[in-house]
Amino acid sequence: MAPEIRRGFIIAALILLVFALLWASRTENIPPADFSLQNGTDPKTIDPHRASGQPESRIIFEIFEGLMRMLPEGDPDPETGLQALSPQPGMAKSYDVSEDGKTYTFHLRDDILWTDGTPVTAHDFAWSWHRMLHPATGCEYGYLINELRLAEAYHKQLLNIGDRVEVELWDRPEDGDPNSDEKGALQHFPRGTIVYGWLREIEKTPEPEFEKNESGEYIQNEDERNSAIAQWKQSWIYRIDVVPTDDADQPQWDGNAESQRFSQSLEICSADQDIQRTHFVLVDFVHNGGAQAIDDKTFVVHLNNSIPYFLNLVAYYPLFPVNKKCIETHGAPLWTKTENIVTNGPFNLDFRRLRNRVRVRRNPDYWAIDRVGLETIDFMSLESQNTALNMYETGQLHWINDLPTSVLEELQKRDDFHSGPKLSIYFYKLNTAVKPLDQVKVRQALSMAINRKQIVEEVTKAGQQPALSVVPPGLAGYRGAEGLPENLEKARELLAESGYPGGRGFPKLTLMYNTSETHRPIAEVIQQQLQNNLNIKIELKNMEWGSFIETVQQEDYQMARYGWVGDYPDPNTFLDLWVSSSPQSNTNWKNPEYDRLIVAAGKEFDSKKRMELLRQAEQILATELPIIPIYFYTSAEMAKPNIEGFAPSAQDLHPLSVLRLRDSSTATKE
Amino acid sequence: MRDLAGYILKRGLWMVLTLWVVYSISFALMRSVPGNPFSSERGMPPAIELQMKARYNLDAPIMQQYVDILKGIVFRGDMGWSYKLEDYSVNQVIAEGFPVSASLAIFALVFALILGITAGVISAVYRRTPADTALMMAAVLGIAVPNFVIASIAILLFVFMLQLFPAAGWGTLSQIALPALCLGMPIAAYIARLTRTGMLETMTKDHVRTAFAKGLPRHKVITRHVLPGALLPVVSYLGPAVARVLTGSVVLEKIFALPGMGSHFINAALQRDYTVAMGMVLIYTVLLFVMNTLVDITYSIIDPRVKLQ
Repeated sequence: MAPEIRRGFIIAALILLVFALLWASRTENIPPADFSLQNGTDPKTIDPHRASGQPESRIIFEIFEGLMRMLPEGDPDPETGLQALSPQPGMAKSYDVSEDGKTYTFHLRDDILWTDGTPVTAHDFAWSWHRMLHPATGCEYGYLINELRLAEAYHKQLLNIGDRVEVELWDRPEDGDPNSDEKGALQHFPRGTIVYGWLREIEKTPEPEFEKNESGEYIQNEDERNSAIAQWKQSWIYRIDVVPTDDADQPQWDGNAESQRFSQSLEICSADQDIQRTHFVLVDFVHNGGAQAIDDKTFVVHLNNSIPYFLNLVAYYPLFPVNKKCIETHGAPLWTKTENIVTNGPFNLDFRRLRNRVRVRRNPDYWAIDRVGLETIDFMSLESQNTALNMYETGQLHWINDLPTSVLEELQKRDDFHSGPKLSIYFYKLNTAVKPLDQVKVRQALSMAINRKQIVEEVTKAGQQPALSVVPPGLAGYRGAEGLPENLEKARELLAESGYPGGRGFPKLTLMYNTSETHRPIAEVIQQQLQNNLNIKIELKNMEWGSFIETVQQEDYQMARYGWVGDYPDPNTFLDLWVSSSPQSNTNWKNPEYDRLIVAAGKEFDSKKRMELLRQAEQILATELPIIPIYFYTSAEMAKPNIEGFAPSAQDLHPLSVLRLRDSSTATKE
Repeated sequence: MRDLAGYILKRGLWMVLTLWVVYSISFALMRSVPGNPFSSERGMPPAIELQMKARYNLDAPIMQQYVDILKGIVFRGDMGWSYKLEDYSVNQVIAEGFPVSASLAIFALVFALILGITAGVISAVYRRTPADTALMMAAVLGIAVPNFVIASIAILLFVFMLQLFPAAGWGTLSQIALPALCLGMPIAAYIARLTRTGMLETMTKDHVRTAFAKGLPRHKVITRHVLPGALLPVVSYLGPAVARVLTGSVVLEKIFALPGMGSHFINAALQRDYTVAMGMVLIYTVLLFVMNTLVDITYSIIDPRVKLQ
C-alpha cells in the first residue's frame, strides 16, 4: 500500500482516538443526593407484586404507600437504643375491626393522590390485591393473605364443583385468534371479557401416572412431572352455567343460567367449536373475595380466620396499591420505567441507573409531606462490603448495612456503629429421610454437641445470639420454647443409644452450604466440633447458589445451611414452614401433632391461647430437631451522625421518610 | 483496496458462523447446568412457577426455545427480557452497561499506550542505565501483580492518603481515573516491554545505521526511523489488549462499583439469567471479533510486508 495511504491512515486513527477519548469523557455529573445508602445487589424490579428481596423492598417502601405504613412509635428504647415500629395509618386515615377480628374496614384519606394527579381510591386497593393474587402475576408473597376470603383458591387456581367462577375469554387486546394462537397475549391486564357462572362439572381425561423404580422413587424428575400435570390440566373441559350480568357488569347469580363449555387447550377448542377457549377459570374473587371496595373511600377486608398481625401485613409492600391505568396502558414490566411509573408514596422515582443507583425525590403531593425530611435519596447498588465501607468513610454514603467481618471489631467501638436484632435465623436443615438422621436421638446428639458460643464469638463476631430454638427473641407476647441445651455427655449418650457408641459405625455425612465467605468458616468449625466431641466425620461441600437451592429442593442432601427471615413479626412466620405440606420444608419431617397445633393456632382468636399453641409447636420442633438452629442474626450498620431519626429497629426496617439532615452545612461532598 | 473489501466480507461471514456456534454452545451449556431462573429459597407453588415459565417461554420444548430465541435475535435484534433484572430487556442492559465498559476501556488503553510507549522508548534509548533497569523491573511487577492488588494499593494511596479521587462510583471524570489506571497498568507494562524489544531490534537495522551515518540528530532517527518499525509488535498486541481491558474489568467493576457489563456477565451466569448471559456472551464475541479484525487491517496498512489473507 502506498505510503500516502499509510500516513493518512495513521492520522485518521489518531483523530479517531481523540474522538473516542472525548466520547469517553462526557459525563453526567449527577449532583449527590441528600442521603445515600448501600442497597446491596441491583433491585430485581420495583413492581411491588414481583419484588421479594430487601434491596427492592427498601425502594418500594419509599415510593409506594399502603393502607398502613410501618413508622416509629415513641422514642428509641434508652437501654437498647432500639426503635419500636408499628403499623400506623397511611393511605387509610382510620380502620374498624369487627369483634371476631375477621372483618376490617379501612377509611381512606381524602387528600391522597397518585403521581398522575388522580385520587387514590378503595377500588385501587381492590384491584391491586386482585392483581397480586392473580396466578399469572406470579407474586411470591401470595401466601401471606391465604386467610383472605377466596384468596388462596384464586391464587393457586383451586376449584370445587358448585363454585361461583369467572371465565376469562380469549379476547385480550393482544390475543390472536383463539383457534390458531398457542400462547396468546403476554399481558394478563387488561383482561379479556369475563363471564361468570356456576361451575357444574370438569371433564377430565385420566390423570397422568408416573412410573417409579424399585426403590420407590419417581423416574421422572419433579419438573417433568409438574409439566405433565400442567399439560393435563390444560386439557380440562369446564361445564359452567353462565349467568347474565347487569349493566354495571355485576353477575346476576340467580338469573337465567345457560350451560356452556370452556377449555384452555387450543387442540380441544379447535376440534369442537362448541367449546370456547379461555385463559383462566378461577373462583370469582372480584365479587365474592375478601377485598371489596364499598365506595371510593371505604375498603373492606373479610378474613376466614382472624390474623393478629394483619395490620403488619397491610403495612407490608406486596399489599401496597399499584395504579391500574398505568399498568394497563404500558404493561408489565414497562410500567416500572421512570417515564411511565405512577406511584403514591412519600418519594417519586427520579431516575434509575442499572447497577449504579436508584434515585428518589420528595413527592410534593404526598399527604404527609411535612414529615418527609430529605429531598433526594440514592439507593446505591453495591455488592462489595469493602467498597461500601470505603465510600462511607469518604462521605459518599451515609448509611451502610453490610460490613466486612474482618474489621467488624474495630467498627464496633465507634459511635456511628449501630446494632440490633434481626428477625432471622441461621440453621442447618437435616434430611430426615436419610439414615442415620431419621433417628431423633442422632439429631439431638448433633445439636447438643455444637458449641454455638464459639461460632458467634470467634467466627461471625457481630453480636449474634446462639439459637437453640427457631423463633428469634423479642416478639411481643411470645415466650419462646426451650431448646435442648448443649451437653456433651448427653450427646455422647444419645449417640450410643442410637447404635453408634463413640461415633463408631457412624456414616460420613455431607454438609452443604452455598458458596460464601461467611458460611465456610462456620461449617468448618462445626465439622471440627463434631469430630472432636462425637468422633463423627462430616464432609463439607459448597455449591453455587442456584445449584444449591435445586439440590435441596430435590431433597438430594443430608445437611444443608439455610437462613430464614421473618416476613412479619409473629412466631407463625418461623413455624408454619415446617408443617408436613410445606413446600419450603424439604426435611421430610412429618409430625401430625405439630401440624394440628399450627392449624389450631391459625384459628385461635384469643391471642394468649394462640401464642401458647405456637409455643407448644415450637417445643416439638426444638425437641425433634429436623433442623439444627445455630444463631439468630443481628444487624450491624453504620450511619453518619448528621442523620436525625436513624435508629436500629427490631425488624431491621428503616423508614427513610422520617429521616432528616441535622445540619445542611455538614452535608458531604461526593 | 479490493482485497480489503474481500477480507472484510470473509471475516464477516466467519463472524456470523462463530456467533452461531457460540450461541449453540452457550445455549446447551446454560440449559444443562442444574438450577433454573426461578429457583428460590422460598419455593414457589408449582402452579405459579408454571405461569412464570410460560411467561418466559421456558415451558416450550427445548429445541423450540433454541429456534425462538435465535429468530428473535436474527430478525428483531431482540434478545428478550432479563429474568433477574425484570424491568429491563437484555438490549437495555447492554445499552446501559456498554458505554461504561467502553469508556473505561478507552481510557485504560490510551493510558497504557502513552505510558507504555514512553517507558519503552526511554528504556531502549538509555539501555543498561539505572533508568532502564528500574522501568523494566516496574514493568515485570506490573505484569505479574493482579489488578485487584493494584486497585487496593491505589485506593489506599490516592483515596485515603492523598485524597485525590473518590473511593468508588460512576458519574464523574474523577471516578473513572482510578479504575482506568488499574486496568491499564498491566497493559502498559506489557507495551513497555514490547516497545523496548522492538526498539532495540530496529536500532541494529541497516536503515537506522544509514540514518545515523547521514548525520541525522538522534531524536529524529528515533522518531522517524526506529519507532515506526518498533511499534509494529505493539499494534499486533492491541487485539489481545482490547480483549484484556474488556474482560479484565470484571473485578475492578466490583471494587470500584462501576455499572459496566462485566458484572452482568458474572451475575447472569450465577443466577441463571439465561437471556442476559446469552446477550453478554454474544456481545463480547462480536466485540472481540471486530477488534481483532480492525487490528489485522491496521497491521496490513502500516506494515507493507503484511498481506491480508
